[in-house]
Amino acid sequence: MRLFGQRFRRELAIFGMSLIRSFALIQPSGRAAKSPSTRLIQASDKREEKGSKMILLESHSVIINDVLTDRFEKPSRADIQFVDYDNVRFHLSTPSSKTQLLLSMSIQCWPDLVKYGARDHLQHEYAGYLLDEANTEPEYNVSLLIDLDKLPESPEAKLDLISSLAHLKSTAMSSPFISAFNEQSSLQASYKEPAGAQLADQAPAEAKGDLKIVKYREEEAIYIQASHDRVTVIFSTVFKEETDRVYGRVFLQEFVDARRLQSLQNAPQVRYSNREPPLEIRHLPGLKNGEDWGYVTFVLSPRHFANPAQALATINRIQLFRDYLHYHIKCSKAYMHSRMRYRVAEFLKVLNRAKPEVASEKKTASGRTFRTR
Amino acid sequence: MSNTLRPYLNAVRATLTASLTLENFSSQVVERHNKPEVEAHTSPEVLLHPLVVSRNESERVLIEPSVNSIRISIAIKQADEIEKILCHKFTRFMMMRAEGFVILRRKPLPGYDISFLITNFHSESMLKHKLVDFIIQFMEDVDKEISEMKLSLNARARIVAESYLSTFA
Repeated sequence: MRLFGQRFRRELAIFGMSLIRSFALIQPSGRAAKSPSTRLIQASDKREEKGSKMILLESHSVIINDVLTDRFEKPSRADIQFVDYDNVRFHLSTPSSKTQLLLSMSIQCWPDLVKYGARDHLQHEYAGYLLDEANTEPEYNVSLLIDLDKLPESPEAKLDLISSLAHLKSTAMSSPFISAFNEQSSLQASYKEPAGAQLADQAPAEAKGDLKIVKYREEEAIYIQASHDRVTVIFSTVFKEETDRVYGRVFLQEFVDARRLQSLQNAPQVRYSNREPPLEIRHLPGLKNGEDWGYVTFVLSPRHFANPAQALATINRIQLFRDYLHYHIKCSKAYMHSRMRYRVAEFLKVLNRAKPEVASEKKTASGRTFRTR
Repeated sequence: MSNTLRPYLNAVRATLTASLTLENFSSQVVERHNKPEVEAHTSPEVLLHPLVVSRNESERVLIEPSVNSIRISIAIKQADEIEKILCHKFTRFMMMRAEGFVILRRKPLPGYDISFLITNFHSESMLKHKLVDFIIQFMEDVDKEISEMKLSLNARARIVAESYLSTFA
């Protein structure tokens, strides 16, 4: 279990995907049958459509989900360390007894998250499970203690608990988004439309919330800023390899263009700039603007977080943007590789046709062979 | 097939057929050496005139004949960054398998993307017209393959972007 973690499964998925030669096959089927909002809620639990599994990443941790489902049925010892995206480490153990499950998480951007109220948010979400800072497992940032003797009775409540625990990472990461959404609504309430066109010039500069920076990887960061009519989320991305950079640009360009489709009019506006950071964050010190750097801007309008369920789905989706992008870049590379392998084998066959056939040994009906002397 | 590709390939085919007249030729400089003269460059009198067949500035073939070997270098069309990467990956992939492709050179000539070296030993053990067929088919298919890969990359990118954005209500 420790080795065959989530990463491995995803690698398998990448490999599987590369074998599929036709894109039509991996397109999720039956999408039109469900309205977008029901799909959003479903995406957060494991009842995801089978077809979309290959394309969209799940926002929960499969390992936590599986292990907890197993342990809730039958308590047993555990000592599992595993990882998730963006250098997140988990440790699931039973330090004192079989029924005391300790789930700890270490997340790189924890200092940033605490600034934006992550601990309070976790306290609210995991009331009764979250251990205070003094009792947090060393080397980890968050610890939850689950007493298997005091689980909720009904199976639905158990499933809900498992699902919420499996979303530990995304819940921790969601605090800056939630505070930005709240800021937006308060800004919207206090915002006054300029009285007329003449006055528009004299109107004070647009009210903005403070810029939230989450350095979720060594070099990359998410910048979140609320404004009276939108929340802007900016990802800085770096591509380590030339190929990744070129592929990444193709993908990001499609993200920008996809919104022209009629069916995607409601999606957030996406902008992509290479090298130059966008205006919102240009004043920040230490921004890189080399050839490998790109900045992706998502403009979330209030309808994307109109109700808590929608806000949650939006947050879960947007957190995974970088992983999603890189996952598909890797998939494309694997697919290209399999294509090249096939094509090179074909070329080799053509070349081998040039070799004259070696006369094979002739046999008589009784199985004896002729030999020329 | 576009109307400039056909004459281009015909010209390459005719040139290759004419220049694939190789014979065993031992080195005139070093005793008991038998090296492809086009690579060794030891005796200039056995080298023939190199020839470039060019379709446009980016697609061309350099054919360098000599008495016992012939070197064919191909420059593949690369219109943009993606094609450049794909072409580089593809030719690298092939050249890493050069021992399977006996006539493939492990490194291309500077300015070209892939090179083949046919010696008299190859032309003795393989059928000459089939060797020419192989080169021509390679030139045909490699363009096709690269443009298909590029299309599939774009198609995948579109599907990926659409399915991500469609999850936002």
